[in-house]
Amino acid sequence: MAILANPRLVGELEHYGAGDVVKCYHCGNCSAACPFSKEPFIFPRKSMRYLQMGLEDKLRGNLEPWLCYYCGECSEQCPREAEPGEVMMSMRRWLTAQYDFTGISKLFYKSWKAELSAIVAVALLTGLGFWWWGATHGDIRHYDGPQAFLASSFVHAFDWIMGGVLLALLLTNCARMWWFSMGRSRINVPLTEYVRRAWLLPVHFLTQKRYRECEKKRPWAVHLALMLSYVTMLVLIMFFLHAFQEGPEISWPHHSLGYLATIGLIGASVYALRGRIRRSETHYKHSHETDWIFLILLLYVAVTGIVQHALHRFGAGHAANILYLAHMMGVVPMLVLEVPFSKWAHLAYRPLAMYFSELQGAAILAREKSAAPAVRARAA
Amino acid sequence: MDAEARIGVYLCRRGTGIADAVDFHAVAEYVAKAHGVRLVRDLGFLPALDPAELAAEIAREGLDTVVIAGDSPGFFKPAFTRAMADAGGDPLRVRLASFREHAAGMRDATDRAKATLACAVLGVPYGLAALPDTTSVHPDTLIIGGGVAGIQAALEVAGADKKVYLVERTPTIGGHMAMFDKTFPTLDCAACILTPKMVAVGQHDKIELMTCAEVQEVTGTPGSYRVKILQRAKRVDADACVACHACMEVCPVSVPSEFDDGVTTRKAIFMAFPQAVPNAYVIDAEHCTYVQSDGQRCGACLKKCAKEAIHFEETDRVVEVEVGNIIIATGYDIFDARRIERYGYGTYPNVVTALEFERLTNASGPTGGAIVMKTKKHNRRTKQDEWVFAPDGPRPKSIAIIHCVGSRDANFNPYCSRVCCMYSLKFAHLVKEKLPDAQCYEYYIDMRAFGKGYEEFFERIKEEGVFVVRGRSAKVTGSEDSLVVRGEDILSDKLLEFPVDMVLLAVGLEPARGSEKLATLLRIPRDQDGWFSEADYNTDPTGTERGGIYVAGVCQGPKDIPDTVAQAAAVAARVLRSIVSGRGRDSRDSVSLPEIERRARERAGAST
Repeated sequence: MAILANPRLVGELEHYGAGDVVKCYHCGNCSAACPFSKEPFIFPRKSMRYLQMGLEDKLRGNLEPWLCYYCGECSEQCPREAEPGEVMMSMRRWLTAQYDFTGISKLFYKSWKAELSAIVAVALLTGLGFWWWGATHGDIRHYDGPQAFLASSFVHAFDWIMGGVLLALLLTNCARMWWFSMGRSRINVPLTEYVRRAWLLPVHFLTQKRYRECEKKRPWAVHLALMLSYVTMLVLIMFFLHAFQEGPEISWPHHSLGYLATIGLIGASVYALRGRIRRSETHYKHSHETDWIFLILLLYVAVTGIVQHALHRFGAGHAANILYLAHMMGVVPMLVLEVPFSKWAHLAYRPLAMYFSELQGAAILAREKSAAPAVRARAA
Repeated sequence: MDAEARIGVYLCRRGTGIADAVDFHAVAEYVAKAHGVRLVRDLGFLPALDPAELAAEIAREGLDTVVIAGDSPGFFKPAFTRAMADAGGDPLRVRLASFREHAAGMRDATDRAKATLACAVLGVPYGLAALPDTTSVHPDTLIIGGGVAGIQAALEVAGADKKVYLVERTPTIGGHMAMFDKTFPTLDCAACILTPKMVAVGQHDKIELMTCAEVQEVTGTPGSYRVKILQRAKRVDADACVACHACMEVCPVSVPSEFDDGVTTRKAIFMAFPQAVPNAYVIDAEHCTYVQSDGQRCGACLKKCAKEAIHFEETDRVVEVEVGNIIIATGYDIFDARRIERYGYGTYPNVVTALEFERLTNASGPTGGAIVMKTKKHNRRTKQDEWVFAPDGPRPKSIAIIHCVGSRDANFNPYCSRVCCMYSLKFAHLVKEKLPDAQCYEYYIDMRAFGKGYEEFFERIKEEGVFVVRGRSAKVTGSEDSLVVRGEDILSDKLLEFPVDMVLLAVGLEPARGSEKLATLLRIPRDQDGWFSEADYNTDPTGTERGGIYVAGVCQGPKDIPDTVAQAAAVAARVLRSIVSGRGRDSRDSVSLPEIERRARERAGAST
């Protein structure tokens, strides 16, 4: 099979933040320093080489960027300041754009203005839409009850429709990811293996146990807290939204979880924002525009969420409804634009990559084992 | 010059760089006032010259001489020569004033251009008018640093019957080369090459050797520097001492030996090594019990010395000398491998630096040249366990050599230290020679075998069964007696992680400690890495910004022994030229514009 080299690939990846890759002189220090670099996935150097050579097809099916957690060990030791950790991060952004068939992701990564405009547009549409619905179906002075401005039943239905669309988009992208990395690969993984190791997927998703193998544990803890808070909040909203609107008695099982998740979201996003402003850790040193948008949006959503809740519980129904609108104007763009097209997508890609890579790794090692006697015979 | 001279000056430009540096307008105004100049025309950038038009102008103005001035006047000369001939004048009276040669890139470029043009108008070669004055150059030379560079330069200069002061900080000359076992790629015995030169220095009647000495103050101008040298007290009379070792045998103090890079100990009264020059003992006052207790305790050596050579009362003194030239040959220090913690130097006993390994493989080293692993020995005096190289220690079965330790690394030294690849290959050869069954691995980034016979040496080492792995390893882990090196084998796409008995760090070179102080003292610049800056990379690699001060050897930038010796010999030629010609400083911008003009007028007047 002919291999096509795209000489403009490095230039393209620069938009995603991989500008320093050209400095690499391939000493192999990073691959040896990385705690995750193990046969048969030795990285990040090899991925950097693919990128320098413009091997676009190989990179598109490359799972290695997803195996990197950006602990920063490689970048700290790099003798050329080629920032291998940041290059892997940029490749993750680029892969996200490649998996997305609509091309929207690519546009957002290449132009923060486009992403911001899209966010503003979706926010305005959301605001107008909910305002119109609320004004025609309820009263802005009532937060709950039959005259509620935005009744939970309505928001609930909206959530499910939106969730369905997002899931469909994300699954399509995941299917493309599978095709690039596994489907068209020459390494054959039998279907039985997919089933036998399917348990890996939820385990990686929920524990992020590989991240814990990094030398520094704090980034893992912060990331896990953020992810668990996010998922908790998602479950609460998708299934138990009514419990938060009905009153006056408070349903503590739901609320205590909700408060915990809010603390987790605000705490983790403030921590990350502060880290990025101060560049306190290696993985905070370089920030792509999308990183800022993501964090600010997340913090905005969490804060407006808890404030509208507080207003509601303290009886300020009118103000609570206005804040609720503002909150929705953050939530909807965040979910619609970030989940399938930007940083949030990695909540699906990363565990999938762990799962795929273990299947692929086992297949490669098995093949090498069966081929080894022949190699030995040739060497002799 | 004839009084009737009618000169036309034409200014033309070819490039842009010089036109920016030189104010052509000011030059034109200046030359218009010169005697005999009838016409000044600025033709601008790359003019299209028509000889017929020029000829008409020359005839109209009655010009007998044409001066073409600019960055590359020769480019326009053919047109003017033809115009001159067509106008009936003398085609040989077309003169050039080249700003590119004489003005560009210098301070006061416009003034230089004026001077160049004034000389051309007067018909005097600029080089003659701008020649610096001869000054009286003191025939003595100071050489700072007694390594192979300093030794070579001293022998060359003294060989021409000129006096040399060779100042060395340590008690012996020889420098790092004296510590080496073999030289690459010829595998010559380093000591066999160096010690005869050291002895020659010690015995030369034109070389005044000052060991345990440091330059303290330098005043004066090129050709006549006054230098204050701090001569530290050695407390042993070198002329009386016969190096019988009796004093050393009774000395109760043990300190790490500098010559063995700390892998063995020496006494407080010591000679760095048996072939040291001067071949006499010195007392290390800092560690001597007698000196430290003001004569209250010890003094064992004093009683033992049959030649009564020990004089504890001796004190430091300052020697003042006058010299015409100074050669800096201060060499280097090795990179401190402790700075890269992940290689485990200082943590694991069998992670050693290149210099330690040199001593280990050296027949005059701690094990008599046997390559051994460190063994734990109980030190009865300090009551602590120590890791030492013992001659009967276990032989390593596998050795990994890690290249570029501290070199080519943006976190440490960005430059290539130039010698590590080759000395690492040499070590691999020595390992294979002395321990044929041992496995030897070289972890490299790029193999820089650039010199004569180096590539062939590399090929030879590969044939000897050394595993040459492309990929710098990232870390060394393990315990006191087993080490694991982790590195990527880039060419075969494998991650290597296996145990070895010994790890050798190919540490890079750094400017010698004290270079900064010396640079301030001599008022010469250093580059961003701390090496002394040469006057010009290509054309003057031995000079410095200051006249009469030169550099030789590694202190100017990392280099191997052949290059160091070559540079040291070259610098001697420069010094001898300055002494013989009487020109301390060979630089034209030392003469001012009015002075050049005055001299040119004088010469022009003299020629008529």
